Amino acid sequence: QPPRACEDYWWEWKHCRGLRHAFHHYYAHGALPSCGRWREDYEACRAWERGGAASAQVPRGDRPGGGPGIQESRGQKYAPVWRLRKSPPPDWYLPLDQ
Amino acid sequence: MEDGEGESSPAAETKGAEEKDDFGYRLFPDRNKKPQSFLVRSLFTFHNRCQVMLRMTLETNPYAQLLLEAMKQSGCTVFNDRHFSCENCDGCVSGGFDAATSQIVLCQNNIRQQSHMNRVVTHELIHAFDHCRAHVDWFKNVKHLACSEIRAANLSGDCTLMNEIARFKFGLKRHHQTCVRDRAIRSILAVRKVSKETAEKAVDEVFDACFNDLEPFGRIPHSKADARRAYKDFQNRDRYNANL
Repeated sequence: QPPRACEDYWWEWKHCRGLRHAFHHYYAHGALPSCGRWREDYEACRAWERGGAASAQVPRGDRPGGGPGIQESRGQKYAPVWRLRKSPPPDWYLPLDQ
Repeated sequence: MEDGEGESSPAAETKGAEEKDDFGYRLFPDRNKKPQSFLVRSLFTFHNRCQVMLRMTLETNPYAQLLLEAMKQSGCTVFNDRHFSCENCDGCVSGGFDAATSQIVLCQNNIRQQSHMNRVVTHELIHAFDHCRAHVDWFKNVKHLACSEIRAANLSGDCTLMNEIARFKFGLKRHHQTCVRDRAIRSILAVRKVSKETAEKAVDEVFDACFNDLEPFGRIPHSKADARRAYKDFQNRDRYNANL
């Protein structure tokens, strides 16, 4: 089953091609967005629904670090700045006078 | 500060003041003071207004709702009366995150509009979210502080075009990143006794990694509609991860 409903990929593609998103992308990244990957993912999703072999591929938009929209990180991995916790901070729920 | 607008200064403060660095504690003089009486607080401060606006934000603002949900999933459920505190603050600061008490401080004397409250709460919740999910060394590691500041300025709506124009800061191509960088440096300088060069160096070193760390939003939300979409995607994330 695809990670998301096909309509979600369609929505992301339409949203990506809109003027408002193009403006915000230019404002944030200095370049216009590339939206082709969402369309490809939508087509692949529809092909899967029709029972095609294209379903074997992980949608590019959903791959970690790939694709606009979800995790707009341009496909690059960066060294983490801090170490992730395995459990929440022990004093999160402590009453204030402690 | 800048044009009289209150600025979020997310500081990690310690209860004991250091000899050289008070970690921004001077900006929040009501921390650790005896709470005022209910009558004094209600009649002579903006405490009630702050509480009403805070509740409105937590119940209706999609940025805040996404962060609250993300924190709950990380094991840090946020309770209004435990994790938020409306206080009077010094200067133009709008709020802060006190890692020592795991509390978000909101400056009731400097936050006057609901939109400002929305932004400040989002900004501080991002710090709280980072504190919850990672070992952030707020006191000793300027890079950690810089990273959280970059993320908060990036994702809270601090650097929208309209907000920048209101500050008379004009720019278009990649101006969002310029704004994020500048605000991160200013926030560090407000709460740490470090030189401007040190703050700039710390921000520049971690900028790429932290600007592209979009958790829990998954995108840079440029509007409430973006935030609502991000919230919906976050709620469906379990399905995404199961199916990938």
